[in-house]
Amino acid sequence: MTDRTRVTKDILWALALAGLVAAILRLWFGLGATTALSDAVPWGLWKILNMVGGVALSTSGFTVGFLVYVLRIERFKPFMKPAILIAFLGYGCSCLALLFDIGLPHRFWHPIVMWNINSFLFEVFWCVMLYFTVTAIELAPLFLEKLKAAKAVRFLHRIAVGVVIIGISLSSLHHSSLGSLFLVTPQRLHPLWYTPWLPLLFIVSAMGAGLMVVVLIRILWARWYDPTSVFGLPAARRPSVTAVSNGGSVSPYDRGPEGPQFPAIRSMASIAGSILAVYAGLKLLDLLLYGGWTSLMAGTWESWLFLGELALTALIPAVLMAIPRVRRSPAGVAIAAGSAALGLAMNRLSVGIFGYFHDIGAIYFPSLVEWAVALGVVAAAGLVLFWVGEHFPVFGERPPVSRSTAGLFQLSYGSLRQLWKTALTNSLHRVTYVAVFIIPVAFILMYPPYRADSSPADPIRPARGVDIERTVLEIDGDHGGVMTRFAHAEHQQRLGDSASCVFCHHVCLPGDKSTPCSRCHRRMNQATCIFEHDFHTRAVAEKEELGGIHPENHSCMHCHGESGLESPTTARSCLDCHKEDMYPMQAASQAEDLMHAISFREAMHRTCVACHERSMLVFNRPDLSECRTCHQSLQPRQPQESTMAHRGGEGLGPM
Amino acid sequence: MEHWIDFAKGPLFALTFMIMLLGLLRLVVIQVYSLLTGKGRRLRNAPWRKILGEAASWIVPVKHLIPGTKIFSIVSFTFHIGIILVPLFLADHIVLWERWLGINLPQIGYGLADFLTLFTIACIIVLFGFRILSPRLRAMSMRSDYVLLLLVFLPFASGFLASHPTYNPLPWDVMMLTHLLSAELLFVVIPFTKLAHIVLFFFDRISGLHWQLRPGAGDRVAEALYGEEARV
Repeated sequence: MTDRTRVTKDILWALALAGLVAAILRLWFGLGATTALSDAVPWGLWKILNMVGGVALSTSGFTVGFLVYVLRIERFKPFMKPAILIAFLGYGCSCLALLFDIGLPHRFWHPIVMWNINSFLFEVFWCVMLYFTVTAIELAPLFLEKLKAAKAVRFLHRIAVGVVIIGISLSSLHHSSLGSLFLVTPQRLHPLWYTPWLPLLFIVSAMGAGLMVVVLIRILWARWYDPTSVFGLPAARRPSVTAVSNGGSVSPYDRGPEGPQFPAIRSMASIAGSILAVYAGLKLLDLLLYGGWTSLMAGTWESWLFLGELALTALIPAVLMAIPRVRRSPAGVAIAAGSAALGLAMNRLSVGIFGYFHDIGAIYFPSLVEWAVALGVVAAAGLVLFWVGEHFPVFGERPPVSRSTAGLFQLSYGSLRQLWKTALTNSLHRVTYVAVFIIPVAFILMYPPYRADSSPADPIRPARGVDIERTVLEIDGDHGGVMTRFAHAEHQQRLGDSASCVFCHHVCLPGDKSTPCSRCHRRMNQATCIFEHDFHTRAVAEKEELGGIHPENHSCMHCHGESGLESPTTARSCLDCHKEDMYPMQAASQAEDLMHAISFREAMHRTCVACHERSMLVFNRPDLSECRTCHQSLQPRQPQESTMAHRGGEGLGPM
Repeated sequence: MEHWIDFAKGPLFALTFMIMLLGLLRLVVIQVYSLLTGKGRRLRNAPWRKILGEAASWIVPVKHLIPGTKIFSIVSFTFHIGIILVPLFLADHIVLWERWLGINLPQIGYGLADFLTLFTIACIIVLFGFRILSPRLRAMSMRSDYVLLLLVFLPFASGFLASHPTYNPLPWDVMMLTHLLSAELLFVVIPFTKLAHIVLFFFDRISGLHWQLRPGAGDRVAEALYGEEARV
């Protein structure tokens, strides 16, 4: 274990721990408060980067399986275990990220029993689930051998080929289906990326880039644990080594005698390079055939994005692999592989995010929680990769020998240097140090109430009157473009004219009788502090004619008493002063907390749904308590609307 | 300045306090883990009654006064009274606990708090003086001992001045910010220095289990240090 692996692991731990904090916050506070997702942009980083991109990058299991078991290329056999491990971890972390993305994570198993056979997602779900199981079965012998379960291992070896074949067919099904997902919405996807060939392009690019990922990880692993196997003898190794570590600043043309493993890596990278060249050809042909050419020539930022992403995914790796001198250097191959992996991730982001929301004008930038979870699960998968690689014979005949670590009892506070010396050689100490700093920092940065304090995260759009009398209001709090029509006058009349105001306008600003909901419930998903402390200290000083400025003028005591405790619990009730001017008083006096207004969503639901549920029984109208009574977008669509006609911002989400 | 104070009272307080809690938790976990894995067998036969009794007797270390260092020992013990009571139970701090942790602690009166604060400050000055003036203590002290005393001194002094505008030479908000930031610095420092005895104190008596040496171990240490001919 070198210092570089240690630092790599520390970074992975930091990301994984930050991801853990983010995941807990996501589960605790919900999607709306923690992510930048909305009704207009329901597919964000987790689905596109982790699921669509992550799954595409972990095709290794099936492509290497095809090369080894179907084409019978014996020399690729050592790649089988790393490839399966990468596939297993890739699929695992994609599914984990998706678990946080779906609204009700505890219902992730629903598609297993509730079949929607008309949905591409249904197929993707089943394939991903089954393929994940397949990789687990393929990986099982590794662990069973350690447990000395010889019988089980023999059985698994006997069914190995069958399992691999099932895996290959499942993979070819769902990799193309992930592309088909985006076929459903031709109007939404930018013409540069939209093409009937999407499924084909998706599977071809995933095959090429998936192989490249195995190549990249194999070379990196050799760099970390076993340099001679790939980079050759130490003396000749140096130039290319530095090239890997600083991301290619040294020219990749230096070459020394190569290690025994390298020829197989090179030929795999060459195969991947040719697949990517085919992909580039298909992509260009598709541009010509389906008219994407004109959009490319338009010179918008999308066309540059398209070009850059195509260059990274296909052109650079294919060209690099075509140059003999690059092909012979591990660093050159690693650069080609890294470029392909990066480009593929970019491509999926383009299809799923950049090119997908171009028509609605909504800007989607993932929140910190989204980034943390997305990168955190990948980092966690990386740590598992390290652990499995270090303890099981994955990358070689036997796992690399790990050097003993310093004992736990060498804790010493004599001096900082001693302290760090102990800490830096012991992995438990390193990890816990990382945790001690990362967890609080991640928490403070992502805890929704703190974020809300500094900036109103999700401001409410006030209800708009369709007419001058405001007899009908249109409510679209979250700017989602989906209106809820509220017959204001009708409700008022039905509930008993002016006496009924109080039912909804439960607390009003002093002097007002019908403060609109959005005045206090100012944020969609979070509570708002509506008590203006500064204003009150000034007002109290003015009214009581106190000299000096706060806090020297002792205006604090006016509300908080003389105990010296200044907290919400010691403050006087609002109605002590606002007895006369706060209308209607009864509701205000019953309110537990006049300092905070609950989130707009909760306020609306509590007010409307509670009353509707009561009226439902009184008037025997069961439909009153249904969601679609208010949310028009949930009403069954008219037959003529159910065609593919695109309905602008008013439509449903993409799926 | 108001913004800085709000920031120091809000997110920065939560951040540093969490670092302190996690850092101390880390030490406890490592202690317990190492005891269980390394000394599992020895733990079972450990003289628990003796260990707990000793720990209790060290909480009020009247028995452990060594002739010649009596004043220093007494001061360093009484110094802890104010240092524990004031930060936890001062009325202005109770508001913080309530806001961040949702717990209601009883409060000590302002008079008592003022007395304890001044007493603690006096103790710090005495301890500092001992470390400088007594040759024995000076020989034992490291740079960190002086720095840590200063770090403890800062929040107490600034807190006292901030709450007594008449003695305060600086504007209130400057003093308040000094108080907050120095206390937060102390939070961060606690788990990584010998101030960690906040929790490690309770493991001190158990550490005897760590250090049970085999017969003849001393000779081997001497041998390793000074060569074969060495005698202990």
